[in-house]
Amino acid sequence: MRSLTLHLKVLITVLVLLGVMVTAYQIFFLGIPVTEDETDDLWNIDAKVEFVASSKDPVKVQMFVPPLNRDYVSLNESFISNNYGVSVNRADGNRKVTWSARRANGNQTLYYRLVLTKRYSTEKAAIKGATFRDSLAVDGPEKVAAEALMAPIRQHSADVETFVGETIKRVNNLNDDNVKLLLAGDTSAQNKARVVDLLLSIAHVPMEKVHTIRLVADTPQSPELWLRSFNGNDWLYFNPDTGEQGLPNDRLLWWTGDDNLVTVDGGKKANVTFSLNNSEMNAIRLAKLTDENTDADFLEYSLYSLPLQTQQTFMIMVMIPIGVLVILVLRNLIGIQTLGTFTPVLIALAFRETQLGFGIMLFTVITALGLSLRSYLEHLKLQMLPRLSVVLTFVVVLIAAISLFSHKLGLERGLSVALFPMVILTMTIERLSITWEERGGGHAMKVAIGTLFAASLAHLLMMVPELVYFVFTFPAVLLVLVGFMLAMGRYRGYRLTELVRFKAFLKKADA
Amino acid sequence: MFGLIKTWKALEARGIMGINRRNADYVLKYNKRNLYPVVDDKIITKERAMAAGIHVPEMFGVIETEKEIDKLEQIIGGRSDFVIKPAQGAGGDGILVVADRFEDRYRTVSGKIISHEEIEHQVSSILTGLYSLGGHRDRALIEYRVTPDQIFKSISYEGVPDIRIIVLMGYPVMAMLRLPTRQSGGKANLHQGAIGVGVDLATGVTLRGTWLNRIISKHPDTTNSVDGVQLPNWDGFMKLAANCYELCGLGYIGVDMVLDQDKGPLILELNARPGLNIQIANDCGLTQRTHAIEAHLEALAKDGITEDAEQRVKVAQGLFGHVLGH
Repeated sequence: MRSLTLHLKVLITVLVLLGVMVTAYQIFFLGIPVTEDETDDLWNIDAKVEFVASSKDPVKVQMFVPPLNRDYVSLNESFISNNYGVSVNRADGNRKVTWSARRANGNQTLYYRLVLTKRYSTEKAAIKGATFRDSLAVDGPEKVAAEALMAPIRQHSADVETFVGETIKRVNNLNDDNVKLLLAGDTSAQNKARVVDLLLSIAHVPMEKVHTIRLVADTPQSPELWLRSFNGNDWLYFNPDTGEQGLPNDRLLWWTGDDNLVTVDGGKKANVTFSLNNSEMNAIRLAKLTDENTDADFLEYSLYSLPLQTQQTFMIMVMIPIGVLVILVLRNLIGIQTLGTFTPVLIALAFRETQLGFGIMLFTVITALGLSLRSYLEHLKLQMLPRLSVVLTFVVVLIAAISLFSHKLGLERGLSVALFPMVILTMTIERLSITWEERGGGHAMKVAIGTLFAASLAHLLMMVPELVYFVFTFPAVLLVLVGFMLAMGRYRGYRLTELVRFKAFLKKADA
Repeated sequence: MFGLIKTWKALEARGIMGINRRNADYVLKYNKRNLYPVVDDKIITKERAMAAGIHVPEMFGVIETEKEIDKLEQIIGGRSDFVIKPAQGAGGDGILVVADRFEDRYRTVSGKIISHEEIEHQVSSILTGLYSLGGHRDRALIEYRVTPDQIFKSISYEGVPDIRIIVLMGYPVMAMLRLPTRQSGGKANLHQGAIGVGVDLATGVTLRGTWLNRIISKHPDTTNSVDGVQLPNWDGFMKLAANCYELCGLGYIGVDMVLDQDKGPLILELNARPGLNIQIANDCGLTQRTHAIEAHLEALAKDGITEDAEQRVKVAQGLFGHVLGH
């Protein structure tokens, strides 16, 4: 007995843990939304390349496009151009698109469009970077100024992170004579970055220029320069103007290195303008889109990979255990009497088609008429099977009649009654009638009302859209339910109705 | 809410057994599924009992097929009173008790006059499984109609009062006398309106009763007191009940017995899921008593002793008897 209890406890724990863990994995690691209404930002980035082609030479336009190996997932990428050949290639962690044409004339416009989202990004690829480099050649007064700057920087820093930050701060201090000398009057971000690069190279700290786009809607912008350095584990990003560390979340890395965004052979006046806008998208639809567009197939083994029609069937099916749970609680915890064990669940399923109020009405009408027929048949002394057949046929005729009448009256809802499970209705009538005879009308009414109540409750719960979505998306929840049901299997406490039933004991105790 | 918790605590303190506890701790634990047919099928019970030399009402015949319904006349023979039962009926449903013949017709115990065709229809309904537990085909059993002992005349309305004893592993735990009322239609089932009267295990003297979940001390039809009545041959009943453990092998059963005025104590049927109202009739919870028996069994198992029916009755009477003194 005790070993059985232990066995059961272990089983329940395993099932519940498994259910919770699978669900948690889906929610926290795969990022599957918990509710259907959850939405996610979807960014639409357009880069418009304009240039003037010279009529003599072939045209070749090269532009960097985001490498997309960090944080973001691309849902759609397109290169829009007339009469241009397009090819994309990767080099040094950058991605470059090349448009080429033999002949072009006048103003040319090319488009690059990218749709991306932050959710459902796969794990980051292993990051590699250099941690050492040779010093850049420098001499004369620059060398002296650079070394003069280096001494306090070394003093005020402890590691790569603080060293880079300190360097950038020093370079931005325009009152410093050494800085003035190195900048040579040019205080652009580009030039500052060059000086920072120079200083860091003296200390053999590697540094890379990063060009980013800010994910902000409807604001004209050009790529923003950031600096980054590899500390052995991860890239550290620095703002070249302030020395602040850390790349804000809304920055999208477009390319790295010293090269320009766009290079045009056989053309001039190249210009790139960015326009961004964002839209919100239902998170679960986004998940499906992501699943199709990337090799992150986290929905592959979920119910969403089934054909749509089958999915709808399963949306109903996965709710049946919830309905069964309702019956279990009502019967074993509360002590409500129902006809049969799972009849209420089947009736609840029938309510799906008829709606609750109408369903209860139909159920009552058909059962009442069926009962009166049954009591009439009682006088004829028929055997069980023929009698049941007569009742079933009567139920079918009744349902047909109700459908016909309601159709003539223009109540389309009446037609849904056809889906009422007739055999269940017949059995309900039969059992109710036996209960009526054996235990009296009062008891039969009690059982019938209990059945309807259980069915309604199960129906209402099975129809909650959030619950349907949750169970359908995280079917492992059913394991938790099984755990609860197993625990209920050894529940020995009183049923709620028993508290009333045994009240006689207490009355005496009071007296 | 607090009221409910208070009720819960109070019931728990008195050791009142609920359905969930009965099912989990007793029915499922002590009753092996494969032995159920022995108690669920009254014909098998009867055959086993007869083989073991335990007294049961005489079986006149069994009808198994529709064809055999023709034999009904022959089975009944010239008898004017008999009982027709479904072999696998539950809760006393489908039982027809014929008390007398009236011209060509029969009179049931409740005074209703029925024709032979109606009896045949009843048998047919039984065969199709209308009253059987799972709804599957059943057999009909025609047997001796018990005439209750005169002792019950004063406290019973009509029908046959029976004695239910709950037996755990062969030890009688609690006993109740069930008296039919006008409302129960001559049937001795509590949910149909019969009265349950507690019985002292040691002496066989009745205690107060329960009717429709209430505690009563008078019969609602006869207004005679139901308590303080000495049941005759009580030790015979106790031994009969204790013997039923060996008979069927089920550890937790309700044994239903009657006292026939000619044949003495007879076993009517066994029940693998005995009801809980017996607690109200005895004004006592079952859990404490079953725990006492379980403790006793554990002690015996340690010493490697097993007790026979007579010893078990003594133990039970010693443990649970003489409640009147309290």
